[in-house]
Amino acid sequence: MTANAPLLELRDVVPTFEESGLMPAPYNLRIMPGECVVIDCRDENRAAVFADLCTGMISLSQGSIRFMGLDWTTLRDRQLNALRGRIGRISRSGSWLNLFGTHLNIMLPHLYHTNDPLDNVVEHATELGRRFGFPGLPITAPDRLSAADQARAACVRAFLGRPDLLVLEDISDVLPEENVLPFFEMMTAARDRGCGVLWFVRSAVAWREYRKAVNLHMRLLDEGLFPMRVM
Amino acid sequence: MTDIPTSGQASMPQGGQTPGMGPSEPDKAGRVMLVLRRFAPWLASIGRLTRHQVRFTLLLIGAGWGTLRESLRPNSWRRPVIYEFRATLRQVVGGGFLSIVVTATLTGLMVVSQAAYWLGYAGMAQMTGSILVSVLVREISPILVGIILMGRSGMLCLTEIGMLVLGGEVRGLQARGIDPFLALVMPRTFAFTVGGFTLGMIFSVVSLLMGFMVAHASGAITSSVWTFFFNVLGAMTTWDYLIIPLKFVLVGFFVGLGACISGLTVSSNDTMASIMPRGFARGIMLVLVVNILFMLDF
Repeated sequence: MTANAPLLELRDVVPTFEESGLMPAPYNLRIMPGECVVIDCRDENRAAVFADLCTGMISLSQGSIRFMGLDWTTLRDRQLNALRGRIGRISRSGSWLNLFGTHLNIMLPHLYHTNDPLDNVVEHATELGRRFGFPGLPITAPDRLSAADQARAACVRAFLGRPDLLVLEDISDVLPEENVLPFFEMMTAARDRGCGVLWFVRSAVAWREYRKAVNLHMRLLDEGLFPMRVM
Repeated sequence: MTDIPTSGQASMPQGGQTPGMGPSEPDKAGRVMLVLRRFAPWLASIGRLTRHQVRFTLLLIGAGWGTLRESLRPNSWRRPVIYEFRATLRQVVGGGFLSIVVTATLTGLMVVSQAAYWLGYAGMAQMTGSILVSVLVREISPILVGIILMGRSGMLCLTEIGMLVLGGEVRGLQARGIDPFLALVMPRTFAFTVGGFTLGMIFSVVSLLMGFMVAHASGAITSSVWTFFFNVLGAMTTWDYLIIPLKFVLVGFFVGLGACISGLTVSSNDTMASIMPRGFARGIMLVLVVNILFMLDF
């Protein structure tokens, strides 16, 4: 990746309608390192599909998506997976494996993609967990956690391991009030070291307190993606 | 407005004939096209049916090759993959152990004692070892081990992976750059392979031992347990030392792989009611196919 190159760039992207259900209109988006783009989308399923689109999981009928200078469509499976490992993601659904405890779910992507010693990973995850109000790392199965604890665990997982891009779906309705500030702090710290943020929100309330730090505000509608003015 | 000839008209000489063709050839070609067009839907449906029927077999061959190839790469065995392998192996061996011991005991009681009794009655007691090796250890054990493996662990594996696919968790794994094939299919298949061998060996030893105990108690066998096992081992050929473990290994491999692939390929229309019977039928088929293939060749 060259200096001053966009971290994530969607250029005239038209996703296949059959696979995504997104309007086959050209989507354009550019996130530079350290930038935060807020995408307003009331429909959480559409937001999840668009997040999938940005992470190269949906085939395109036109255009290209580049992440860290690499076009998703030109990469092979192992490269695709390695590149997706650089993305910290918060999903609203289908993100927890009940086969393992929550602690393993949190550390799974990091243990899979890196050779960092286990002790370091555990230490880092525990530290993040404390920031989000856990006494340590929750070891029970994710389906036994409350929605608030799942949201906190999702934050720990997304911020673990210095990701280069954060793709955050809106969990403001389940994230406890006392964890909103640590969430913003972690996001700012990540941006300070060059991580881009793509943040999906369902209402203005979710990002009101972070409004001044947002670089770009867009709206994802049935008709496509439209830039808005950051007030 | 002027008439512009279409490209077809422009390239076609007068009379609808192509250069170098006799006057009847276009008609013949047109007739063939007409017949083909009439039969096209039939051909398509036959093709669709054939593809549908062999889909699982082709998937199994491809996934089997992929599993073996990926397992040889050192960086395939990452920490979560090793964790999954260990957890599945624990489940396969631990979960199937008691069932294997009970089934082996019952089989031993039936097969060994009956064989010893009737062969002794017929004056062919010296053949007890070879009969037990060929019937019990080589033929019955892999089938029973395969069925237990499938029932105790294969169906669980199928259900787990199937539910993960339907719940979107597998897609969630992919979104985090975790290959479900590496993280779920490969370690589970190898855990089943190792588990199949382990349980097969336990089954063979327990069934022979229990059979000996009953036959000895009833007086059908008068030799010591060491002599009995020596006779059984002596009756084994060099091929048996290769084929018997290979059968256990392959039964485990294909039961595990079949369960994982069946789970991974469920569609959004599937429910537990459709996943389970399909997985069971496929598992039984795989167990029998592995055993029948060996029976044909050796």
